[in-house]
Amino acid sequence: MSWLRNVARGLRSLFRKDRVDRELDEELGAYLEMAAAEKMKDGLSRKEALRAVRLEQGTLEGTKEIVHSGGWEFEVDTLWRDLLFAFRLLRKNPGSTAAVVIALALGIGLNTTVFTFVNALLLRPPAGVKAPEQLMEVWIHNPRSSGAEGYLPLTYPDYLYYRDHNRSFGGMLAFDGDPESAIWNKSGEGQVVMGQLVSGSFFSLLGVNAVQGRTISAEDDQAANPQPVVVLGHAFWQQSFGSDPMIVGKALMLNGVNYSIIGVAPAGFAGLLVGIEPDFWAPTTMVEQITRDTGRLNNWHAHWLIAIGRLKPETSVSGAQAEVSVLEHQIELAHPDLKRNLDATVFPETLIPGPYRIYVSAFTTLLMAVFGLVLLIACANVASFLLARATGRTREMAVRSALGAGRGRLVQQMLVESTLLSGLAGLAGLLLAYWTAPLLLALKPASLPISLRIPVDWRVLAFTMVISLICGVAFGLTPALRCAKVQVASNLKDETRPSGYRKSRLRSLLMTSQIAACAVLLVGASLCVRSLRNASSIDPGFNTQHVIAATLDPARLGYSEAQVRGFYEQLSQHVLALPGVTAASFVNHLPLGPAREQTAVTDVMSPAPNTNDAVPIDLMRVAPGYFRTMGIPLLRGHDFAFGGEERSGVTIINEALAKRLWKNQDPLGRRISFHEEKDGTEIIGVVETGKYRTLGENPIAVAYLPQLPPGRTLVVRTSGDSAALLDMVRREIHSVDPHIAATDLETMQQYMSLPLFPARTTGLLLGLSGFLALALTSIGLFGVISYIVSQRTHEIGVRIALGAQCSDVLRLVVRHGLLLTAMGLVIGLGIAFGAAQLLSSILYGIRPTDPATFVGVALLLCAVVLLACYIPARRAIAVDPLVALRYE
Amino acid sequence: MPDKPSDLVQGTLDMLILKTLALEPMHGYGVSVRIEQISKGVFRLNAGSLFLAIQRLERDGLIDGEWKPTENNRRARYYTLTAKGRKRFDSETREWGRQVAAITRILEAS
Repeated sequence: MSWLRNVARGLRSLFRKDRVDRELDEELGAYLEMAAAEKMKDGLSRKEALRAVRLEQGTLEGTKEIVHSGGWEFEVDTLWRDLLFAFRLLRKNPGSTAAVVIALALGIGLNTTVFTFVNALLLRPPAGVKAPEQLMEVWIHNPRSSGAEGYLPLTYPDYLYYRDHNRSFGGMLAFDGDPESAIWNKSGEGQVVMGQLVSGSFFSLLGVNAVQGRTISAEDDQAANPQPVVVLGHAFWQQSFGSDPMIVGKALMLNGVNYSIIGVAPAGFAGLLVGIEPDFWAPTTMVEQITRDTGRLNNWHAHWLIAIGRLKPETSVSGAQAEVSVLEHQIELAHPDLKRNLDATVFPETLIPGPYRIYVSAFTTLLMAVFGLVLLIACANVASFLLARATGRTREMAVRSALGAGRGRLVQQMLVESTLLSGLAGLAGLLLAYWTAPLLLALKPASLPISLRIPVDWRVLAFTMVISLICGVAFGLTPALRCAKVQVASNLKDETRPSGYRKSRLRSLLMTSQIAACAVLLVGASLCVRSLRNASSIDPGFNTQHVIAATLDPARLGYSEAQVRGFYEQLSQHVLALPGVTAASFVNHLPLGPAREQTAVTDVMSPAPNTNDAVPIDLMRVAPGYFRTMGIPLLRGHDFAFGGEERSGVTIINEALAKRLWKNQDPLGRRISFHEEKDGTEIIGVVETGKYRTLGENPIAVAYLPQLPPGRTLVVRTSGDSAALLDMVRREIHSVDPHIAATDLETMQQYMSLPLFPARTTGLLLGLSGFLALALTSIGLFGVISYIVSQRTHEIGVRIALGAQCSDVLRLVVRHGLLLTAMGLVIGLGIAFGAAQLLSSILYGIRPTDPATFVGVALLLCAVVLLACYIPARRAIAVDPLVALRYE
Repeated sequence: MPDKPSDLVQGTLDMLILKTLALEPMHGYGVSVRIEQISKGVFRLNAGSLFLAIQRLERDGLIDGEWKPTENNRRARYYTLTAKGRKRFDSETREWGRQVAAITRILEAS
């Protein structure tokens, strides 16, 4: 308890300083009085006695200081006084303070912004979940392939096996890794909602309780007898049902099946996947009814479930890892026909599924590195600013030192000043992050159905605090140590001639590193910005103007083949009748999207069809008029004929495939074979090669077939405004069949923001960093060079007085600046050369070693330095030599 | 009187103050006079170090202070030993005795 008393006493003397002071005064007074009284007994007069006591004991103030310094509150008190002094000092120079704080705040703020994303994506545990640190994801892993492609989620039979045979987990749950969009039949009209299929153990294992009714139970999720029940998401319940308190027991018709609402999930709970807030949860065993994909529950090849186990307290992660490997092996022994030959692995659960984490962390690390460099430049600016000011304050330090301040006290005071600066900047940076993080989020394409929460929580606060402190100490320490190393005698005497060389060496180091960091960022920025310009001008092979797309799937509602055909025929007629519409057609899925169908073809006429001759292709399925609608030029032959949907045996290929198979010969009338069919399929047309997977790809061979699945994308070309067409098409879909709603309805230009997303994001962020780097570096260089020149005004005056020409002086100043620039450029461009390789995968149409970029950056920086040298040099020359000399 | 006051062995000032207060409650000056008297002038305390030690002991709860009038009509804080202080004093005295005995044995070894 004595520490408590210590704290209490300390606080008392901190906050009731007067009273405590008075008491100490009185006690010491009594002491001195009694000592004097003792002396007076020896016959001294009162005055003499007091004098004698003071000689023996020292002054009252000195004694008080000694007693005070014993408590911990003394340290706090001096710190507080240093802080007040630092505040006064900063307030005295509001301009330079603001400049320093803004520069630092930009650096800190940008890093904090990136960190809020790291936090939201990688660090933050799923909200509303009990003990999330015990949760482990289970993935099937192909040890022979690398990256996320080597990982597969579980199939339903896999999940059952793992669930029933493991000993590491206290329980397992599974949920649908790709959230299902379903059509909600809202009193006769279709509305698209997002749902997640979850195992019966999902809610109970996560410790999530319903706020209304109950959650999905194991009984609901029996494969033999799946129950059509749903739990509503809290936001969906609020927005679409007006928080109806009597919701439990009501029905929800999804994809043509009636589901009974059994409960409402608590607010804030959105499952275990980042960016997805399901409107409803349904049992996994209902998958066949929701997706109309029969046999999914017995399918050993459909990998669709993310499985999660809750680690038993006595099991270690490595124990669980070892066990899942064994379980996977057992499955493969029991089912040799699968020929899987795979492994299984566990990841601690976070909002990003395990295999994809590496991409997110790679990207955020890149951003952190980039903005870290910006922060470094800002710090270098502040350090040279403080250094300059420290030189101006040597006299003050000398006085303090003469009055008895120790070296430690001086360093402490300087550090308090610099951390105060960085603390203010950290605060401003936090605000900046608070505003910019949502802006950054707005970069994501609207078509991505992602709602990301980026909270500013204690992790973000701690990050900002630590980074500010590190900055404060990093840029404050050197000037502080320099300051504290004062030669009292020489400094108290008048002159403080800058003992130049050593000081300017540090300053030169700062300048050099600043230029180097700036060069790195500028190279990255110009590469990414030019890549973005290239990417925007890449021809995707189709015309994105005046086209809209709508994704439809009537089969989800349980429609028969005839109903599906009828729906599309009617829709096609309705849409073509709209004003301004010039063409409309269907495709199974748009190019440059996530879905693709791949196969391989051979030339039927090739002498010995051997599998090595097969050309891998992407297969697309289109209705007649697709090429006209999309503006894809038909080079030879003709389009599929209307009404000939059933007619198999014809195909249209792109030029890339024609070149691969027959070089320059005419492909029309020739036959290619899919899946080793004998007769082959006749080629009736050739279209221009476009982009199919990514904008940066090399030409890909593609074949088009006229048979379409029930799930299709409608594409419509208009002569007018495509945005205005969206509403009209939505109305037409509704009028043809009110139960059906398009899951995606957007203009082609909106759609194109998805493939352009990486280029746009990196272009914008790196462009911003480059701009900031250049601005900060220019300001910093200008400041430092001005300062150096002003310190040499006297010397320059002497030179001019002795007959130096203006050009000589100019050369003197510029030579120094250019020397440093050259050093900085060599280092910076060297680093940039290596670092740019990291960008190579996201650059379009520009090599990471692009010589023009490197030369351009070098020239730009030289120009900046020349300007930063020229202006102060002019000013120095303009000074009358007499004034400069008298200045002494 | 011996020629010069000696410096106290590090850490023994607390023990001496506790000892003085164990005899009777006393004010700061009284403590310093008593220590000087008993040591026959070998230890002479400076007001600064005395009150520093007193502040420390009070914060550790070993002694308690109370304002009382003095003989010459001023106020002074009189300090008394707390139960905890007495215990500490006892243990420190024992430890000190052990150490002195050990040091003496070493010095007298031949």
